[in-house]
Amino acid sequence: MKQFLRYLNVKELVRPIGQMLAFSLGSAAVMSAIILVLALVLDKTAVGTALVNKLNVSLFSYTLSNLPQVVIDGLTIGFVYAAIALGYTMVYGVLQFINFAHSEIFAVGAFVGVEVLIFLQTLGVLSGASVFMAYAYLSLAILLAMLAAGGLAVTVEKIAYRPLRNAPRLVPLTAAIGVSFLLQDLIRLVEGLTTGQFNRIIPTFGNFDDRITGKMTLGATKLFIGISVKSIIVIVAAVLMLVALNYLVNATKVGKAIRAVSQDMRTASLMGINVNRIISITFLVGGLLGGAAGLLYALKFTRIDPFIGFFPGIKAFTAAVLGGIGNMTGALLGGIILGLLETFAGSYLGVFTMGAAGSEYKDIFAFSILILVLIFRPQGLMGKNVGQKA
Amino acid sequence: MAATSFKEVFDKLNQGVVGYVVILLHVVAGSYLVYSQPRSNLAFLVFISSLLSLYFFRADNRFKILVGMLLALVIIPVIGVRNIFYLEVIFQISVFAALSLGLNIVVGFTGLLNLGYVAFYAVGAYLWAFFGSQQFYVLNYAPGTQPPDLPFLLPGDAFYLFLLVAVIIAAITGILLGLPVMRLKGDYLAIVTLGFGEVIRVLANNLDKPINLTNGPQGITPIQRPTMPEWVVDLFNSLFSGVIGHDVKLADMYNVMFYFFALLVIIAIIFVTKRLDDSKIGRAWTAVREDEIAAVAQGIPIVRMKLLAFAVGASFAGLMGVLLAASRTFISPESFNFMQSIGVLSMVILGGIGSIPGVILGAAVLTILNLQVLQGFSLYLNDLRQSDAVIPVINFAWKDLSTQLDPAKYQKLLFGLILIIMMIFRPEGLIPAKRRKRDVSVDETK
Amino acid sequence: MALLEMANITKTFGGLKAISDVTFSLEKGRIVSIIGPNGAGKTTFFNTLTGIYRPDTGTIKFNGKSLVGLRTDQIAACGIARTFQNIRLFADMTVIENIMVGMHVHLKQSPLQTLLRLPGFNREEKEAEVKALRLMQYVGLNNVENELAKNLPYGAQRRLEIARALAADPQLLLLDEPAAGMNPQETEDIIKLFRDIRDNMGITILLIEHDMRVVMNISEDICVMDYGEKIAQGSPAEIRNNTKVIEAYLGRGAVAGQHEEKLQ
Ligand SMILES: Nc1ncnc2c1ncn2[C@@H]1O[C@H](COP(=O)(O)OP(=O)(O)OP(=O)(O)O)[C@@H](O)[C@H]1O
Ligand SMILES: [Mg+2]
Repeated sequence: MKQFLRYLNVKELVRPIGQMLAFSLGSAAVMSAIILVLALVLDKTAVGTALVNKLNVSLFSYTLSNLPQVVIDGLTIGFVYAAIALGYTMVYGVLQFINFAHSEIFAVGAFVGVEVLIFLQTLGVLSGASVFMAYAYLSLAILLAMLAAGGLAVTVEKIAYRPLRNAPRLVPLTAAIGVSFLLQDLIRLVEGLTTGQFNRIIPTFGNFDDRITGKMTLGATKLFIGISVKSIIVIVAAVLMLVALNYLVNATKVGKAIRAVSQDMRTASLMGINVNRIISITFLVGGLLGGAAGLLYALKFTRIDPFIGFFPGIKAFTAAVLGGIGNMTGALLGGIILGLLETFAGSYLGVFTMGAAGSEYKDIFAFSILILVLIFRPQGLMGKNVGQKA
Repeated sequence: MAATSFKEVFDKLNQGVVGYVVILLHVVAGSYLVYSQPRSNLAFLVFISSLLSLYFFRADNRFKILVGMLLALVIIPVIGVRNIFYLEVIFQISVFAALSLGLNIVVGFTGLLNLGYVAFYAVGAYLWAFFGSQQFYVLNYAPGTQPPDLPFLLPGDAFYLFLLVAVIIAAITGILLGLPVMRLKGDYLAIVTLGFGEVIRVLANNLDKPINLTNGPQGITPIQRPTMPEWVVDLFNSLFSGVIGHDVKLADMYNVMFYFFALLVIIAIIFVTKRLDDSKIGRAWTAVREDEIAAVAQGIPIVRMKLLAFAVGASFAGLMGVLLAASRTFISPESFNFMQSIGVLSMVILGGIGSIPGVILGAAVLTILNLQVLQGFSLYLNDLRQSDAVIPVINFAWKDLSTQLDPAKYQKLLFGLILIIMMIFRPEGLIPAKRRKRDVSVDETK
Repeated sequence: MALLEMANITKTFGGLKAISDVTFSLEKGRIVSIIGPNGAGKTTFFNTLTGIYRPDTGTIKFNGKSLVGLRTDQIAACGIARTFQNIRLFADMTVIENIMVGMHVHLKQSPLQTLLRLPGFNREEKEAEVKALRLMQYVGLNNVENELAKNLPYGAQRRLEIARALAADPQLLLLDEPAAGMNPQETEDIIKLFRDIRDNMGITILLIEHDMRVVMNISEDICVMDYGEKIAQGSPAEIRNNTKVIEAYLGRGAVAGQHEEKLQ
């Protein structure tokens, strides 16, 4: 045990947790403060009166009472985005290439995981499972989802990207778009042929749908807090994976090789690093994370279809760019910020615009952010500004 | 090796009168086949592939133009009116060829990957859909609640004006979108244009409130068409009703008219594209595509050149949008989704990025695959499902084949495969772009 | 007034000072070299001058006009043309098209003229073609006008890059290691070409070069850089005997090894 501990780099286990805490609490606090100030300002205007007329509650207390739920939901989805964004960012770091098909790797993870659970359900083991067994089954499903997605990511790289490594930039990107389309329809085809339908619903089992509820009174306002067990699972699982990833990259030999390859592929290969192997590992790790994120996403939103990867994929990419593409800490920060922003927008846009625009604009919200970031800070929040070399 | 030897053999054959004979035979045989077998897909393929003979076989240019005009202006309309499905296929080929040619300026010449190209198409379509329908008077009604018998805002002939308006508006949209993002590296631009495409679609879906601009997911209908003078129908009938076998109705005549419009747009695009390509502007575009830093060091204002390419590409899409809205008399947001953008991109890449004949071929091949081959295959499977046939060895009854297996619905698979295979094995496309050879000598102008 | 006056130029990348407080001026009609060990900041100096990087501090005046803050294409239009250390041609364009791209700023054809193929357009294109062909032959390329640039052999690509730069009718020509990778005969020829460009076209030349045969042979003035700083400037004879320069080259073991004999 002591021997083992000596090899364990404890600092690299604690540091990412600290980071995540700081990012989550920090972003949540800033956004909450902004929305509350906004609510206070608009309370006395037509926006506030409209809400009073409709729901008989002031804008400020409406905003406040929903806030805890919004923050939790935002963080949940934010961590999912972060896990996907890491896949984009790692590949970009190593190959300067946007792996457009990463969103379908995520979708495959979701499908494999859900199918495993459905299979367990048909075996009859799910419905009566104890809480402990429920978690064991879920873990099994996540594990298989990860393996499938990771294996697929590696295969796709070998077949479709590796032959194009020295081609002009747009060539592998175009191939990646092709892979993305191909995989969407392949999922549909396989699901359609084997199950007769391609919209799947994750079985309900365990205590995942329970909610831990609470009420708090803050002055005149009642705060409702309802955290579903699902959200906690999603967050905890994502945190565990991110810690593991951080450890892999920052405290192991493989991680060092990955970092070396992303610094300078040619020099790394001169130093005896097997670049192809490292690239495969990068895709594998990105795929593992993406696959797990897929099942977590399915757990949270219950219903999946073959095109489920598109929006989370685009948003996670936005998160990666927001944080500074190629930068892993940035992807984490970007994911959390984007998840929160989007959930805030989805929840409050309707009230704040008096119903003119609502959560239907949630999906394009990320794009607006992406464009703004690219205009004003193309290197992202944590990226370095490196000029082009002539 | 095989490819070169095939080319050699072909070149050896393709001499003297051979070209004339093959072209004429192909056109005549194709026309006869479709005429006598109006329902056969194969006949149609033989017919439409005569365009390939026309392109590849050597003959005098005047002869080629003559045959081409005969095909485009007489044979296709006549055959199309006899079997209106063919006219639809040809119309769609024309529409996609025009879109691909527009996208080709952006992707092929200038090297900017635009993944949201159909957004500009949507801009044009919604422009005419709004002004050429009753939508203006529906602004204050939720979708589906408007009273009947609302007037139209503009007469149908305003269509012609809007062809121009759409060009301008789409170009401005392109510039506005491009302005902030042109400084970015190519792959960022791809994602931003993708985002823009989605934004336009989501807006079209949701701008039925607070005021009803787009009628939401239900889309806008009816949209007006330009008026068709009586005498045109009469003239057409007096000339061709004998060959066609029945009198042509106004609705069919409209289809012919929109086919002609699309053809005109294609010719206009080719004209503009060719002339720009072979000038300072076109060279600057290609230089930007090949090496931005070298280009800018030669004094080429890269942002301005990229914006120009973006605007020119967008304006053609806007133009086609107006045409689409009028020809369909109905549009909805789903006509402008991401898959359409990738579809057009696939056509450009399959045919040959930067190559005008290639891009047209790409549009034709994919449209035919889509409309005829995949759908034909679907119908065939359906027939099998209805029969009692059984696959011998594995003893599988066709009846039990999942109805999910409907090839017509697997366009993404097709597009995806095409993109991957082309990128790996033939990134230059079916008919690769060629640089013009110049014949210059110094002494004569000394 | 000097053609080019640069004062107190500094350019940093993160913590690295690639150019540090360099002051440099260049008289019209001269051939001047910049030398220095690898990573000394020579290419960065060109990139800063041509606006690819913006200097952190300092002023750049060309014909008395300030260049700092102008875009690269604007600077090029002022009459500064360049070649690149790692050749940057428009690989999939023909040789003659590459050269014609170089004329971009001088071609006056309007979009309308272009679309309608008005006589003005045709005349200008014809003239441009002829001029491009002359330039191609001038730099020593023959009968390759319709070849794709990427299919040319290495030495010809270097020459084509020079022809493309000349096509812009520059007052100042910047050459980044133009003789790199050339054999002695090719080097000899290219030195002649540079002299001719200066003597007959009246173009001022500033070149970066590692090959001391070229540098000592052609330069009227040599500027030496090391670690981003300008450590010396003077005639070839002065530089040959400058202790600081010898230190910069010899004091650096492996890196300078290749320059050692050449300096002697
Ligand atoms: N875009 C950039 N970002 C970061 N560092 C850079 C950049 N461009 C150059 N550098 C660094 O600046 C320093 C000077 O580089 P530069 O290319 O100017 O050297 P050089 O004198 O041209 O060398 P060589 O003789 O090898 O061409 C080097 O340390 C280089 O790594
Ligand atoms: Mg250099």
